[in-house]
Amino acid sequence: MTKSQKNRIGSIVRYTLLTIWAVIVAFPLYWMVSTSFKPSEQWFAWPTVYIPDPWTIVNYLDVWTDRQEVATGQYIISAQRPWIAFGNSLMIALTATTLSVVYGAVIAYGVSRYRVLSEVRMFQLLMLRMIPPIVIVAPLSLYYSALGLLDTATGLILIYFLTTLPYSVWMLKSFIDEVPREVEQAAEILGAPRWRTLVEVVLPLVRSGIVATFLFILILTWSEYLLALLLAKTEVVTLPIELSKYQGTTEGRVYGRQAALSVGITVPLVFIGLIIRKHLARGFSFGMIRR
Amino acid sequence: MARIELVNLRKEFGALVAVKDINVTIEDEEFVVFVGPSGCGKTTTLRMIAGFEDPTAGEIRIGGRVVNDLEPRDRGLGMVFQSHALFPHKTVAQNIEFGLRMKKVPPAERARQVQEVAEMVRLTHLLDKMPAQCSGGESQRVALARTLVTHPSTFLLDEPLSSLDAKLRRELRAECDRLHQALKRTFIFVTHDQEEAMTLADRIVVMRNGVIEQMGSPMEIYSNPVNSFVADFFGSPSMNLLSGEVVHESGMCRFRCASGGFQVGLPDRFNGLPAGPITLGIRPEHVNAVPVGNGATNDLELAVRLVEPLGKETLLYFDVGMERPFVTVSESTAMAELDSGARLGLTLAREQICLFGPDGHRIRAGSAA
Repeated sequence: MTKSQKNRIGSIVRYTLLTIWAVIVAFPLYWMVSTSFKPSEQWFAWPTVYIPDPWTIVNYLDVWTDRQEVATGQYIISAQRPWIAFGNSLMIALTATTLSVVYGAVIAYGVSRYRVLSEVRMFQLLMLRMIPPIVIVAPLSLYYSALGLLDTATGLILIYFLTTLPYSVWMLKSFIDEVPREVEQAAEILGAPRWRTLVEVVLPLVRSGIVATFLFILILTWSEYLLALLLAKTEVVTLPIELSKYQGTTEGRVYGRQAALSVGITVPLVFIGLIIRKHLARGFSFGMIRR
Repeated sequence: MARIELVNLRKEFGALVAVKDINVTIEDEEFVVFVGPSGCGKTTTLRMIAGFEDPTAGEIRIGGRVVNDLEPRDRGLGMVFQSHALFPHKTVAQNIEFGLRMKKVPPAERARQVQEVAEMVRLTHLLDKMPAQCSGGESQRVALARTLVTHPSTFLLDEPLSSLDAKLRRELRAECDRLHQALKRTFIFVTHDQEEAMTLADRIVVMRNGVIEQMGSPMEIYSNPVNSFVADFFGSPSMNLLSGEVVHESGMCRFRCASGGFQVGLPDRFNGLPAGPITLGIRPEHVNAVPVGNGATNDLELAVRLVEPLGKETLLYFDVGMERPFVTVSESTAMAELDSGARLGLTLAREQICLFGPDGHRIRAGSAA
């Protein structure tokens, strides 16, 4: 076998494997989108319907307009309008993520430049994330009820902020470590107080890293289920909780509407990802600062 | 006024003592160069003056005032870094403007001063560019302009030229010199390059292992080194150092080389020197080389190993059985044509001979015995 034949077989194998992998990864997404456009009899028809026929937007109308009065034999799922859940999720996730990234940046700067946390402490911080949330959620709900935080947006924001803080600190520290010390010292000797050095020099230089961290944390909080289920759910309903209400035993399974809601949950993240993709590419490839 | 005094200045990093109780006074408008091999403490000293390192002990005074506890921004200094340290996300103009903005200078005045300083270092054509679009030399000029515009009392320059190529380095060296003369400010320049130190300095501070070995004008340092380290560090090619011993023969004090088996008579001032090991130093330009067999008496005869014509002068390398070759420099054009292996007679200029004791210290006369 010649070398070029070997190379060709190598590429065939490589591309075959990658294609299979891509299909495995993309299929659930495809299935979600296609189901959201299927009429109810095709949701779990046999033989399987891969492409909706006919296409319909009735699932979207049912979910997002909460058409309770439309008597087409479909179930009335929830009195809670998904838009309220969407609003809750948006407000809670954005607030918690912003807090997490802002505090994370300050702590990360302190750790990177002034070693305010030793390496052991930094590792302990990360270890907080290794505790399964289910372990802490029972005691936490007791605290929360004592503090009156149970089933409030503030309660969720607080817990999301605290549980994502270790990620923020670790991710942002790795970006801030990349900023040459001398650039900061140049600003200092030119007369910049410390906070202005941080705001005018360090943070702009790690902008891409901040954006990448922000999106990462946003995805975590946006799609968080367990804590939202146990610490909130009646007064304050987030999208993942709303989604779970579409597969109760009494209502039967309403895949189409669930899919339509899932698409609604996914689209904002994809949209944000597209807007900031320039930063993501730079942020996720470390070492972005030219020395 | 920016007279800078370092009093018993000491810096320890854990067990390592980077700077050992040094005392230096830098006069207003003086151009002082700290020079030494890497790890000698010169950059640490500069960073302590700037305020980026806290001294372990000792005092730093600027204009008579102790500044140990002052933040870098309150010391009235300007610093240029080896890595330029430009703000990569700001244009050249914004980089230069930064210091003025921090001092709350109004925008119109800022623009005027930026323009003025840009003209001074000839980078008006770069003002709208980003640092990434500037070459190494241009970046360093921007860094200089950024410092200039804040009118510091003292310029601290930390190996500012070492990241540049040889030609640019010469250009920017001249630029530094010109600025020093035009601005009449104190300059403290750190480098490991003896040539830079020689050409720029009013006064050189030679450091090694955290200690000041010698301070003085470039010519003082060059022609009157206090020890073999300084003698060796300055000059290119550097001073020939031959180890050997002092011997006494018929009332005359002579130097006998440890290898090569030759002897040289020492000047009278060394007559009182006791016999014993010693190092003889002589600069290449103080050795006269002539072809053998012209009737003159030479100190020694050696075969040339390597001839290095530099145009105006020629470097001749001889093997004396030591680690380093013995080097002489000759201005005779005939020498450039020599083949290696040719034998030459060498004569050492007696009065230029330096002697160093076993500890490396200079021995000035024989009376020390």
